[in-house]
Amino acid sequence: MSSTVTATPTTQSEHPVVLSPERSKLGLLRPDHGKSVIIDWLTTVDHKKIGIMYGAIALFFLLVGGLEALIIRTQLAVPENDLISAQRYNQLFTMHGTTMIFLAVMPLNAAFFNFLVPLQIGARDVAFPRINSFSLWAFVAGALVINFGWILQALEAMGLFSASGPTEGMNDFVPAMGWFGYAPITGIKFTGAGTDFWIMGLQILGIASLTAAMNFTVTIVNMRAPGMKMMRMPVFTWMTLVTSLLIVFAFPAITVALGELMFDRLFGTNFFVTAGGGQPILWQHLFWIFGHPEVYILVLPAMGIISEVLPTFAKKPLFGYPIVVFSGAVIGFLGFAVWSHHMFTTGLGKVATAAFSLLTMAIAVPTGVKIFNWVGTLWGGRVRFSPPMIFALGFVWMFMMGGFSGIMHSSAPADAQQQDSYFVIAHFHYVAIGGIFLAVVSGIYFWLPKMIGKMWKGNLSTWVAIFSTVGLNVTFFPMHFLGLLGMPRRTHTYLEGFGWETYNLVCTIGAYILAFGILLLVVDIIRCFRSGEPAGNDPWDARTLEWKTTSPPQVYNFGKTPIIHARDALWEDKYGPENRKCGEQAEDGHGIHMPSQSWWPLLASAGFIPLGLGLSLMQAGVPFMGYFAIFGLCLCTVGIALWAIEGPGGYHLHPKKDA
Amino acid sequence: MKNIYHGILNSFATVVSLGILLMVTGCDLNTRMSTFKPKGPVAQEQLDLFMLTVWVTLGIFIAVGGTYLYVVIRFRERPNDTRPLPKQGHGNPLIEIGLIGISILLLVIIAVPTLKGIWYTQTTPNEPASRLGNWYTGEGLSEGEDENILTIKVFGYQWWWAFEYPQLGITTANEMVIPAGKAVHLELRSVDVIHSFWLPRIAGKVDLIPGRTNSMWIQAGNSFDRWQKERQDSIDSINATTAYETYLRDEIDGYYYGQCAEYCGDSHARMLFRASVVSDQGFADWVADHKEGNPTTPEGDNWNDWYATYDKDPDLLVGELNEGIKLFVGKAQCNSCHAINGNPRAAGVGGPDLTNLAQRLSLAAGWLNHHNEDGSIDESKQLENLTKWIHDPNSVKPGNLMWIARDGRGIGQLPQEDQLTIEESRKISLFLQTLK
Repeated sequence: MSSTVTATPTTQSEHPVVLSPERSKLGLLRPDHGKSVIIDWLTTVDHKKIGIMYGAIALFFLLVGGLEALIIRTQLAVPENDLISAQRYNQLFTMHGTTMIFLAVMPLNAAFFNFLVPLQIGARDVAFPRINSFSLWAFVAGALVINFGWILQALEAMGLFSASGPTEGMNDFVPAMGWFGYAPITGIKFTGAGTDFWIMGLQILGIASLTAAMNFTVTIVNMRAPGMKMMRMPVFTWMTLVTSLLIVFAFPAITVALGELMFDRLFGTNFFVTAGGGQPILWQHLFWIFGHPEVYILVLPAMGIISEVLPTFAKKPLFGYPIVVFSGAVIGFLGFAVWSHHMFTTGLGKVATAAFSLLTMAIAVPTGVKIFNWVGTLWGGRVRFSPPMIFALGFVWMFMMGGFSGIMHSSAPADAQQQDSYFVIAHFHYVAIGGIFLAVVSGIYFWLPKMIGKMWKGNLSTWVAIFSTVGLNVTFFPMHFLGLLGMPRRTHTYLEGFGWETYNLVCTIGAYILAFGILLLVVDIIRCFRSGEPAGNDPWDARTLEWKTTSPPQVYNFGKTPIIHARDALWEDKYGPENRKCGEQAEDGHGIHMPSQSWWPLLASAGFIPLGLGLSLMQAGVPFMGYFAIFGLCLCTVGIALWAIEGPGGYHLHPKKDA
Repeated sequence: MKNIYHGILNSFATVVSLGILLMVTGCDLNTRMSTFKPKGPVAQEQLDLFMLTVWVTLGIFIAVGGTYLYVVIRFRERPNDTRPLPKQGHGNPLIEIGLIGISILLLVIIAVPTLKGIWYTQTTPNEPASRLGNWYTGEGLSEGEDENILTIKVFGYQWWWAFEYPQLGITTANEMVIPAGKAVHLELRSVDVIHSFWLPRIAGKVDLIPGRTNSMWIQAGNSFDRWQKERQDSIDSINATTAYETYLRDEIDGYYYGQCAEYCGDSHARMLFRASVVSDQGFADWVADHKEGNPTTPEGDNWNDWYATYDKDPDLLVGELNEGIKLFVGKAQCNSCHAINGNPRAAGVGGPDLTNLAQRLSLAAGWLNHHNEDGSIDESKQLENLTKWIHDPNSVKPGNLMWIARDGRGIGQLPQEDQLTIEESRKISLFLQTLK
């Protein structure tokens, strides 16, 4: 099929420096081995580069979402504040939620999936490298469409754009109906163009997530190194698998819901319009049957990270590996059976309320099991307080606190007081920041040396830990009280005299402390990039396969595919008995088959931008936008067609020595 | 190893900061919308369940958190640690199954009362004491309602509330009035987007969802009977009439604060409401007063005569109050959306009912307040609030229909050269102040 490019090994490099680009079946030159760095990154199919790009973009959006949160907290610092208008506030909390969930945490998880999964299972890349590239760029396209409103708003503020003439029908550029978008406030009667950007952007992000999830499912099921049985896989890989399956099963629900909403707004259907016989409550069911698994889509990878970090720095295997894996799967399964606990106040009826109440309590069991097992992992170990470990230890504590308020929610009558109050905000921020964020930071401290080959300098990490944990507690602990004292969520201001003033001020101060912690993290990451100290293959004395190869790993990951004989493959390779050490597959003489880079996934995803913007602006009545949308659809179709026709390509590399 | 201390310091800093926070902020839980100070059986049940979950999770927290801290400190790496590698244990099935069993048991402790609580809080009781025939002595009760409890239809609008009493034939807005110690059935509907009815000290929330009717029951305080039984000893010393007064004073606080709890657009934060809790007689009086409304002009004339004069020659009607009425039914077209019982030309249905508006302690769905500490009305503040609200509704409540109405009759839609002046707004306000 593919024409093989072989070049003479040079003395300096392990693989040839000069490879001539191959022509695809279209007769065009493939962008392989290009000299331009930009083209190389735009067309790359290397899971490691894609992972790094996911991570960088996600960190950018984490800062954007964080900035939105800071403005929100500043507005709420004192009662009856008029720093920002009600409309702006509503836009900010909508975009804060949407950004953090879809543009920060999910892609941060994707960054780890991409970089680590093939390395952890001893594969050369993911199963479908070009789909991987497509997922990344579709994510970027979706992010642009969702945030397009901010661009318009900025242009308007600068006097470069106004809703007049052809754009007269536009109002509300930025989504302002909450990240949950409860019908009917998303209806054409109540909100403007922002809602359309949100619908189209989420739909595109859904495509990105679905393709990535299928890719990882196939990769993990099919591409494990010989001997890497399912029950020998690192827990992070297991959690990636469960998460990917959750995405595959959960996203169709939101896809359907968004599709219906889009039809309501664009073509006058009545799925959620009461006047036409529609039922707004239908949206909530569809949204949460996606939305609750989504919670686990966010948190399971975090649990995976912790399950890697704790054993490494306790120098002990994970306590009860099978039960940790199994409880992860049970959480994933039960995650589909608890969605209505977001809807206890919608008048479900007694029986449904009772059922969802009990199921919600049930899901606390596998979650508790994980915490018990993490404590068990540390028991009898030798706990090293290295930077990744500090955050992992913080995670266990904070996640446990978030879990407790979760149990409080599960009692439906008690939840009637907590629902939509600041108590809920406190709960899920303990899980999101105390849980997911600390885990992700732990993961960054753990794996960044592997990703870039440089070691952390100094102990700024301690300060990051102190400021972020103190900040998050000062911000979110008082919110439990605020909620129970009656402060509802999503209110842009509040009256004096309800006993909320002090709490709100403390929360705002906490938010700035947390923000300072995150700022220090960014500084530390930059310092790590500028650090001259090489990381070496295995700086932490770790346990899993990714630490067996070089830091950063070669483009082909492993010179020779390892053969696995035990769980914790690298640990056994280092300290285990002879029969559990890693083997190596014999060379078959034709080198390592590398996939060719391609422009077409980028082109196909770029088509989503005119498609999404076109449909949104068409709804707002901007002329010719329907054609613009059709243009986007054509771009997308052409991209996918050319991608199919160009042929998989590929070339072979001959590493000189084993990596 | 400096890092050990950092790790420990870290956890300590957290614990200490939590403690300080609790001390600084955790003192006053007796606030206007505090769920910690429930009045009535529904909020009490919800608080009891909440406290149960708090105690159970606190127990788990101490056990697991304590073990966790112990493990982290006990098994830390020592400086120049030369001990052999820890034993590579893979877990202990007995411990794991045991812990799962304990977790399930603990959850059962929460689950059983939760199930009871769901049925209790979601089943409207029909006890004799709450049946209208047994306590309502006023007029206007519809046929055959004696055996039923009081029902209030709650309608959510962007961003205000309508409270309709179908059995009594009256409607009010933003400040509901309910009898002390009686179960009341609420039917909740929305006319636009989703809202949520939350009166924290009396009951947790239930959503108002377009296209469906939700229901809930509330009761402000224990019934008088139960209150008497609970303090049998002390009651004996006071006679029956003062006992009821003591009951109203001690058991019923009188004025409760509520707020919309589901995001409903621009002015969601300004969609508040109130519940006044009154005695049986007080309720009957209120109903009668409300039914009658304002049958005469502020100067005591018949409305029909007044309107006859108005139609013939409005200039004959002089004085600030008359000017205010003329603006109300004329230039400002207030009556196209608002109703005032007794006033034949004020029968609009799009906006809040204004009958006895001046009796209410707040304006603009609870956002503008004008009552003194003792619950009486501060009349100059009331005038100020009314004027502010009428003159510039869009800054008080962005996006509201009084400013830009769908039928084009909003105050903000008056011709540019003929906007309401502040003086005109004040005159309308003076008229509204007579509605009591």
